[in-house]
Amino acid sequence: MNTLGFVLAIVSSLLIPGIISITKAKMSGRKGPGIFQPLFDVARLIRKGSVYSSTTSVIFQIGPVIYFASIVVALLFVPFGQYKGLLSFDADFVFFAYLLGIGKFMMIISAMDTGSGFEGMGANREALYSMLVEPVFFILMGSLALLTHYSSFYDLFVHIHYDSYLTYLVAALGIYLLLQIAMVENSRLPIDDPKTHLELTMIHEVMVLDNSGFDMGLINLATGLKFALYGGLIANFIFPVEWPLYAQIVLFIMVNLLFAVAVGLLESFRARNKLAKNPKWILVLSSISLIVFLCAIEITQKLL
Amino acid sequence: MAFLLIILFELSLLYLAFTERVKRFLFILMAQGLLLFGIAYLHLKQVDTLEFTFILTETIIIKGLLVPIFLNRLRKRNNFERLAHSKFPSFVSILAVSAAIAFGFLLGERMHDNDLQSKFFSASIAAIITGIYFVIIHRNILTHLIGYLIMQNGVFLLSLAVGNEFPLIVNTAILLDIFVGVLVLGIFVNRIGDRFQQMHIDELAQLKD
Amino acid sequence: MIVAYLLLAVVTGGAVYCFRNRAATLFFILLFLVGQTVLTVYAFCHLNERDSTYFTFDSLGVILSFVLALLSFASFYHSYIYLERHSDTKRNKSFYYAALIMLSASLNGAYFADHLGTLWSFIEATTLCVAVLIYHDRTNHALEATWKYVFISSIGLAIALVAILCISIASSKEGVSDLNLSSIVAHAQGMDTTWIKIAFILSLAGFSAKMGLFPLHAICVDAHTVAPAPISAFISTTLMNVGFLGIYRMYCIVAQTDALPWANRVLMIVGIISMTLSAVQLLKIKHFKRMFAFSSMEHMGIVALALSAGGIGYYAAILHIVLHSFAKAGLFYQIGQVYSVYRSHLIKESGNYMKLNPLGALVIILTFISVTAIPPSGLFISEFMMFKSLFAGEHYFVAIVALFLLTIILYVIGKCLMHLLYFKGEGIATLKPVKLNNLETLSQFVLLGLIFYLGANPPVFFTDLITGATAILK
Repeated sequence: MNTLGFVLAIVSSLLIPGIISITKAKMSGRKGPGIFQPLFDVARLIRKGSVYSSTTSVIFQIGPVIYFASIVVALLFVPFGQYKGLLSFDADFVFFAYLLGIGKFMMIISAMDTGSGFEGMGANREALYSMLVEPVFFILMGSLALLTHYSSFYDLFVHIHYDSYLTYLVAALGIYLLLQIAMVENSRLPIDDPKTHLELTMIHEVMVLDNSGFDMGLINLATGLKFALYGGLIANFIFPVEWPLYAQIVLFIMVNLLFAVAVGLLESFRARNKLAKNPKWILVLSSISLIVFLCAIEITQKLL
Repeated sequence: MAFLLIILFELSLLYLAFTERVKRFLFILMAQGLLLFGIAYLHLKQVDTLEFTFILTETIIIKGLLVPIFLNRLRKRNNFERLAHSKFPSFVSILAVSAAIAFGFLLGERMHDNDLQSKFFSASIAAIITGIYFVIIHRNILTHLIGYLIMQNGVFLLSLAVGNEFPLIVNTAILLDIFVGVLVLGIFVNRIGDRFQQMHIDELAQLKD
Repeated sequence: MIVAYLLLAVVTGGAVYCFRNRAATLFFILLFLVGQTVLTVYAFCHLNERDSTYFTFDSLGVILSFVLALLSFASFYHSYIYLERHSDTKRNKSFYYAALIMLSASLNGAYFADHLGTLWSFIEATTLCVAVLIYHDRTNHALEATWKYVFISSIGLAIALVAILCISIASSKEGVSDLNLSSIVAHAQGMDTTWIKIAFILSLAGFSAKMGLFPLHAICVDAHTVAPAPISAFISTTLMNVGFLGIYRMYCIVAQTDALPWANRVLMIVGIISMTLSAVQLLKIKHFKRMFAFSSMEHMGIVALALSAGGIGYYAAILHIVLHSFAKAGLFYQIGQVYSVYRSHLIKESGNYMKLNPLGALVIILTFISVTAIPPSGLFISEFMMFKSLFAGEHYFVAIVALFLLTIILYVIGKCLMHLLYFKGEGIATLKPVKLNNLETLSQFVLLGLIFYLGANPPVFFTDLITGATAILK
């Protein structure tokens, strides 16, 4: 049963990028590519060979693989309703965050390994925004830990009791924050526009300018996996544990679908921030998570 | 339930720290007026009906509608700039407002109460500190006024905390809002707008030794 | 009775604004002044009685109202002379008189208020009236000072409202159902000290906008500089008194609880900082009225120190408030005359006043002695009592710092006033003595006489009133 969650997450990761691009296309009045187009792109890329620049070293060659692996391992932690993830232990959300951190670190240094000015700039920005968004995740998970007195992902989500309206508020704000964290981590609007062709305004895209072939395919798959990661976490907020299994599967798929549509809608109707405004914007997320923390303290009537 | 609205009130303070457009400030004032109306409706259960309806109509009409509309007209008439330039970047403002919210919360916790009054107190302290902070960092006179009105909202929130026992105080707080916040300051902003071309506070710094 | 008085004020103020000829204005102003004196005498006769549910004729209110009654006679007289000299439009003049009437009425209402909400509302009303009066000249400077005054005073009063709310939260837990000061003071013993402490600090910060103490003193200084001289005289005395009254009422509440030592410390810090700031800024002063405004700030710092020292300091604080009002009013009235001689308020453009206006120069010398608390001035007695209480309470460091600051201030004021009186420079020699009405200086001599009399040999009813006012603090 634990693998069911994992398999569902993998399936949704394959479909989410397609749903996002269809939503965006429909909102702009275009017909849009098919839902499987990103998969076809990945398949094409995997068949190709990679070209490695002579300025790079072995780091550039192993970077994308480690990145992809870290995300797959992180996906093993996400629980599914009343079933634990394939890996679960106390305080595993810290391990989870730093796994993603390792992947990002490898991407950053492989980008800097190429010696290109653009990629260094993108790596710089990616590092800054990840640093700013890290407290949001930790404060949010910390608040949930304070509420439920447990610390592993599975226990956190299973033991949230929706007894007062404040817990609903915490859950609502938590979902909103996870959504925004997903947008920041995947470098989507309003932080970064994935469709832009101007390198000076890119963040994530410019880091992977020099990757090609199999590595590029892995990176594209990793994007989808990251979305599925956060979608799974969001779904966990909403799972009522007493429902039967098939209802939970349907709910999970619905939530991921809605998540992808929401991302697509958010992307269609926003303009990209001025680059100087991005740190401010991410800092607001930290402040909102501070309010979630204060709510959690209020609910448990405990002071530090 | 009132606590939910108080949390939304604090979130509106955060949004205020984050935006730079003057029009958004006025929108936030309107939103805060609505939130205060909701909080007043939910909290003041023991006041007799006449005073209750009086307070409610005052809140929604004056705080929620008249003041933002009046300020908007003032803004258009005097051609204020679209962006509010402040002395500190928005980054610092967000940190300051978050610190104010945390400080208000800690102060509320020290009250050793379980009832709603300490929660009202923490939100109102956050609003008052935010209002004073806005008055200090912004250079434009209209944004000074908006900072002052945010402080008024904080004072009104606190007066709701005792509104059940002393309904007269809530009326006094609203009185403060009407008379000083709008009549006198609005008149003066008009005078200053006629006298000085720009409305920067730097113009009003001639009285020194 | 007091409701009748307020109605009289509204009626006469409206009448003065509507009927703009001289005879009608004179009649209505005199009517108002007579009504005000009647109120003061009535209040003195009915000491400590309640009136119209929200007011009480308590001792401190009677003292301050007596000061107000005396000074309003003098202020109206000097305002009349000022407005005649500055040939304004009739509309401006009537506005001025009406605002002054409303200001006196609001001040009296605030002095006698027993309900915290009433006190606050009347102080708020004084802000509005003062704004009209400060803006009378309609110059850019005046606009700037008025804008800052209204804005920051409103902020200060909003903070004071938060303080009142904290007091009401604390008192509602004790079961007090109204906001009357007498009932709050009676129940203050068991109140939660955290709320009381917060309320005290906030009310100190808020009312400092009126009293001229440390946090919000800047607006007082600017307002007293820019206002016309009779108005400066009025507001730097009676308005600062109402700020003192607000802080004093809060202090009475705090004095019943355990937070009294802490409150005394806070008051002492605020007093010393106010005195330091005024001394520092006085060192580079160039403008007469600004100098006197800073001197007012310093005197309010002394009052705060006296209040915080306790014991005989309470008596000293109230005596100092009364005598300072008379001294400062006399100074400001005389400055009005000085301005008419030199056409400028700057110190460097004045001099040789002794020759140009001997009677006025005599007033300047005597008020200089009064304000800087040189004996036989009454202020010497009150400051002496203040230092006595400071030393008795073993606050040696504070007392020595205060003495040092007073020396600096005495030096600066003495230097500037001697410059006014005796300096014979180039531009000064060409000025001719201006024909001034000697009757103008009569008011200042009366005030000076009162200062010396009340300091040296005060009548029994006066000392009884002050002891009655401080009785609640023992």
